[in-house]
Amino acid sequence: MPDNWDKDVYPEPPRRTPAPSPQTSLPNPITYLSKAFDLLVDRPVTLVRDFIDRQHAKNRFYYYHRQFRRVPDITECTEKDVLCMYEAEMQWQRDYKVDQEIVNIIQERMKACQQREGDSYQQNCAQELEQFTQVSKAYQDRYHDLGAHYSARKCLAKQKQRMLKERKAAKEAAAA
Amino acid sequence: MAAMSLLQRASVTALAALSGRHPGTRLGFGGFLVRGFPKTAAPVRHSGNHGKRLFVIKPSGFYDKRFLSLLRFYILLTGIPVVIGITLINVFIGEAELAEIPEGYIPEHWEYYKHPISRWIARNFYECPEKHYEKTMAVLDIEAEKADLRLKELEVRALMRARGDGPWYQYPTVDKALISHSPKATPDN
Repeated sequence: MPDNWDKDVYPEPPRRTPAPSPQTSLPNPITYLSKAFDLLVDRPVTLVRDFIDRQHAKNRFYYYHRQFRRVPDITECTEKDVLCMYEAEMQWQRDYKVDQEIVNIIQERMKACQQREGDSYQQNCAQELEQFTQVSKAYQDRYHDLGAHYSARKCLAKQKQRMLKERKAAKEAAAA
Repeated sequence: MAAMSLLQRASVTALAALSGRHPGTRLGFGGFLVRGFPKTAAPVRHSGNHGKRLFVIKPSGFYDKRFLSLLRFYILLTGIPVVIGITLINVFIGEAELAEIPEGYIPEHWEYYKHPISRWIARNFYECPEKHYEKTMAVLDIEAEKADLRLKELEVRALMRARGDGPWYQYPTVDKALISHSPKATPDN
């Protein structure tokens, strides 16, 4: 992440260092400090890291990310089918984790934008703010307040309640 | 030291003055004390480097020091080999790199971990999550079947008892052929 990140999502602000225009004829101490840092810290660390990388290159092995197949949802299971319900439940828990990470990523984008823009973040980061409010509202509607013993069935029940409320509100709006 | 000797001389004179009739005065210098005060007053020597040597009175630090030293010893006894081992593993074996799953290849369950020690633990001690999943599904299936069959048995029992046309609730009765249908002498036979 520190070396290669998505430059479109987290853009770097343009550099504003001016060209050096020394007012005095005295030498700049920063050059000496940077050379000292380079000699005393950067070179030994790079040598050690190169040694370690050479040892790692001798025997490489890989790790993979798990791929899960999509299984029928809890809405597509018949009533007493425990196997279908178990698979749907596991899939729902994985989706819950994924949704949590999605909210984290959107939040991080908003935080990075605020850090970049400084005091003018409210107008320059409007897109990120809007995205974050939408995503967190959706997450709250779906997953908030399910309790400690949450499950796919309870989430489905919450969705049913929400749909009933929407239908009632729509009917009242149509009647009024 | 000068103060101490002054104090001693002052106490002796006070004692002698206060208790003139006390038998202690006849015992001489020191009174009731067994060893007595020192006979000569040596000049006090002050060292040039640390100042006067003092006998600092403080509570015993022996038990605390012993506890901390033992704690350090037993923690480092296994701590240092563990730290050295982990450092060597990180330097010489290294972590795994992320790769796409190749076509037609099903990775073993330990190949989903990055650090070599996690991979070793997953390979030798943990069972693979697919197996656990399938075992859970098997248990759920068996229990669901059992519950299903028990409910069905109750229903079947009720129906067979009510209708009487099933194999259960058949009670043995007397053989029909043994009944004699011939007319009897009295009507109440």
